[in-house]
Amino acid sequence: MQNRWLKKEKKYSFSSQVINVLIWGCLILMALFILMPTLFMFTASFMPASDILKMPYRWIPKDFYWKNYWQGIKGNDGSFIYIRNIFNSLIVAIVVSISTVILSALAGFGLAKYSFKGRSLVFMMIMGTMMIPFEAIMIPLYLVATKLRLQDSYPGLILPFLVNAFGIFLMRQFFITFPDEILDAARIDGASEFMIFRTIILPNSIPAIATLAILTFKAQWDNLLWPLLVVQSEEMKTIPLYIIKFMAEKHTDEGAMMAVAAIASIPILVVFFKLSKYFLSGAALYSSRKG
Amino acid sequence: MKKISIILFLIMLLSLTTVVANSMEITFWTHEDPNRTEIEERYIAEFEQENPGVTIKRVTSGSGQIQELVLTAFAANQGPDIFNMSIEDEYAYIVNERLSPVDYAACGYPSLQAIYDAYLPGVLDPVTYQGKLYGLPLELTNWCIYINKKIFREVGLDPEKDYPKTWEEMMEVSDKLAIREGEILKRRGFDFRYPYYLVSWIPMVEQLGGKLISDDGKTAIVNEDAWIKVLDYMKEWGPNGRNLGSPTYTNARKLFNMDNNDIAMCLSGLYQQGRIKADNPEFYESGEWMIVPFPIFENAVQDVPCAYYGHYYMVNGQKPVENQQMAWKFIAYMLSHPEEYLTKVNLIQPTKKLIESDTYRSIPYSDVFRDDMAKGHIVYYGANSAKIQSLIKEAIETVMLTDTSSSDALQTLKRKVQEVLEED
Amino acid sequence: MSKKKLIYSIERQKARWGWIFVAPSLIFFSLFSFYPIFTAFYTSLFKKKLLSLKPPDFIALGNYLYLLKSPDFWNSMRATIVFTLGTFIPILVFSLILAIFISSRKRFQNFLQLAYYSPAVLSSVVAAVIWLLIFDPRGLGNQWLNFLFRSPGVDHKWLANSIMVQLSTMLVYFWKYVGYFTIIFIVGLASIPQSIYEAAKIDGGNDWKNFWYITLPLLKPTTILVSIISMLQCLRTFSTQYLFTQGGAPLAPINVITLNIYHTAIRDHQIGRASAMSIILFIIMMLFTWIQFKTSRADEISY
Repeated sequence: MQNRWLKKEKKYSFSSQVINVLIWGCLILMALFILMPTLFMFTASFMPASDILKMPYRWIPKDFYWKNYWQGIKGNDGSFIYIRNIFNSLIVAIVVSISTVILSALAGFGLAKYSFKGRSLVFMMIMGTMMIPFEAIMIPLYLVATKLRLQDSYPGLILPFLVNAFGIFLMRQFFITFPDEILDAARIDGASEFMIFRTIILPNSIPAIATLAILTFKAQWDNLLWPLLVVQSEEMKTIPLYIIKFMAEKHTDEGAMMAVAAIASIPILVVFFKLSKYFLSGAALYSSRKG
Repeated sequence: MKKISIILFLIMLLSLTTVVANSMEITFWTHEDPNRTEIEERYIAEFEQENPGVTIKRVTSGSGQIQELVLTAFAANQGPDIFNMSIEDEYAYIVNERLSPVDYAACGYPSLQAIYDAYLPGVLDPVTYQGKLYGLPLELTNWCIYINKKIFREVGLDPEKDYPKTWEEMMEVSDKLAIREGEILKRRGFDFRYPYYLVSWIPMVEQLGGKLISDDGKTAIVNEDAWIKVLDYMKEWGPNGRNLGSPTYTNARKLFNMDNNDIAMCLSGLYQQGRIKADNPEFYESGEWMIVPFPIFENAVQDVPCAYYGHYYMVNGQKPVENQQMAWKFIAYMLSHPEEYLTKVNLIQPTKKLIESDTYRSIPYSDVFRDDMAKGHIVYYGANSAKIQSLIKEAIETVMLTDTSSSDALQTLKRKVQEVLEED
Repeated sequence: MSKKKLIYSIERQKARWGWIFVAPSLIFFSLFSFYPIFTAFYTSLFKKKLLSLKPPDFIALGNYLYLLKSPDFWNSMRATIVFTLGTFIPILVFSLILAIFISSRKRFQNFLQLAYYSPAVLSSVVAAVIWLLIFDPRGLGNQWLNFLFRSPGVDHKWLANSIMVQLSTMLVYFWKYVGYFTIIFIVGLASIPQSIYEAAKIDGGNDWKNFWYITLPLLKPTTILVSIISMLQCLRTFSTQYLFTQGGAPLAPINVITLNIYHTAIRDHQIGRASAMSIILFIIMMLFTWIQFKTSRADEISY
């Protein structure tokens, strides 16, 4: 991943130095623009509300105003429901990630390594679901969920996201390059197909699995529309719903609001920096897709 | 080992079902109000003690959100046993026959008429439908103007004399009270209560002779001139006019309690006193606040103060009959403490006894609210009032926050409200 | 058993396993994708109200005809298209430029990639909450612009002007996703073989020419991919607009189609009409995906 077209300037002419400085300038300005709001969130979360909207904004809090975090966790009604809501978000995101990985790996493996009648039709059908935006089916899905009495429950939050076409596609692409000889050798040794999947395929696809799991986790962490429809009680709310409730009617202290946002962001940012290579390779997978 | 665990599991399951069989859970959804939570949690504990086997699950949500929550739950036939919202949001449930009528016996009244007799005349009309009564009031509230005296004096105004009596004065006074840096507003004088237009904004239209819906219920937006005048007023109020306030700012009544030099006036009900006490006891005790009546336009043709709205406790009609009875019994138990609701939460439960009591009279400024309420009328309610309110919201925001002219916005509003009226 | 038969039975065995592996996902999709989209279509033919317990009236294409005549619906189409174009074009241009710039650096590549990507992992609700404060008249938005333009005291009306509020939603989206697409471009750039540039050097090409005649054409598949993904994402935008209107911004300029569906169903109780709108959104997205397949087929390039 190195330079492609501005690379290896032999002679450092004046104009190339100017260009160099300009490019650095652009990159730094952009980085500032991109990092500022996140930084603003963290600094503001340590300020009393009256300091946050002061002009000019002081980037360094006078003293750390932890009360915001206390207020944010406690909630406006003092019920500490945010802790439960964070837990809900974690449960939903983890279960969805696990099921997505398992089901996608299974289906991706089946589609990549087994030829059966109607395989291409099945593949087309699954890819076709990518065309159905969630927004288009949320209302009927909501009616289904209510008919099955799933609303306001973990199954209701989780079921519609158990697997997705992108995950299957990703795993299929990954498995297609897997050498058939290894599978055949295992078969000759008497391994059942499911054994092959468990003992050969899964252990060898950790990077793809990690990437898919992380992307799924992130998407669920961010999910707003479906929980908005399907959840009613405070106990079943997820983080985005809590934040919306917290800011409802512009009634809340801005500092506490930022503390709540910061609490919601810290876990995902930690995961991001720890596992950044999987995030980045997740983006890379888009580039390498071939029909 | 496996067998034992299966048996254990079955035993657990069995014991669980027997517990379920002997108990009744009543779900109770309401909006957030810390002061109320405190006393109602106590009523729940007391009630559960008196009625073994009954558990009451009280769930609160933001006052801007409960409408959607109750709606989606009812649409899924999973509504709570008990809920309360403002009448303009509740009326659709009555019309769609989703509710259980008041069980006067469970509530401890000898007859239905006895309930009507206990309350102020007319306050139960909104929940009376086809001869049946569908709700009991948790509160009947109107809004007046709260004033921070310190800020008035700071700009050289005498709060007792110079408080705004007309909307024209409101604009002038707010302009004086405002602190700006260039165009950026750092302190507001007064600001409206934006999402609640049926309660506090329609009366302004009515002062000038306009009407939301004609008396025969067929035409929307009567007397367009009055509407345009009030929309123009909002336009002038907003950031594209004299820049006195806007719906994008932090809620006025919240800032008012903080007394942080952010806002000098806000619009709220008697219950705001309880909130000030809870949020900022120092400010409450200082006596640096006062309450004045809802202003009227200089050339008003009618003296219409802020409308009053009711929150009524209602009971889900799709629950088993025993649940419905128990729910009414519990509601009646809560409502048997009107004086505590008044003194601790500043909510007015409009029984004749309470309004005539000394407790009511001794609440500061209760006369201001009482006098305004006597002149006012109840908020507009109907099966579609929630939708109409959101249409008015759109119109006002369009006028205040975009370049759309008042007459264009009004035409859109008229077309949409008319469509809503004709739909049913 | 003859050898042919054995192979046949192994093949049959394998085919069965293929189905077994695919079955859970297929069952899932039929329940949670195909069935709902059919019910959505079915419901869209009825006048169905959310609270009513009465059976709904069949009105055939009535909901669709209503929508086609409704200025509100067309306003939502406009808002969605303006948002999509106004967001994905800047994202495309900026992420391409940034990717080229970053790829040309020898130091801090990793840091820059992480920094640019980081907003994409924040939840969109958090993003909207942060930006709502930045767009407050006393907030950082005005402070930055007034510092840049040396125009103290000017209120840029981030949320209080129909054009500005649209720009503001676009800005939030741009901020959140520009880094994400930059990464995709960086990977795309890295997959262009170095040998091509070396060949160009022998032919005497300079950097600028290389960019126009080598990098850009070879990046075409990535570019198309990025534009389709970002376009589809923009068409489905919901959170930012929802939260902005909750925060007091005017609805009409940013009433995108997903928000309209939500309001029509939940606020107005019109399930049938909301379903009809969902079907229209589905058709639009299908059209875009079809274009994606068309163009990506036509543009497959082998190095």
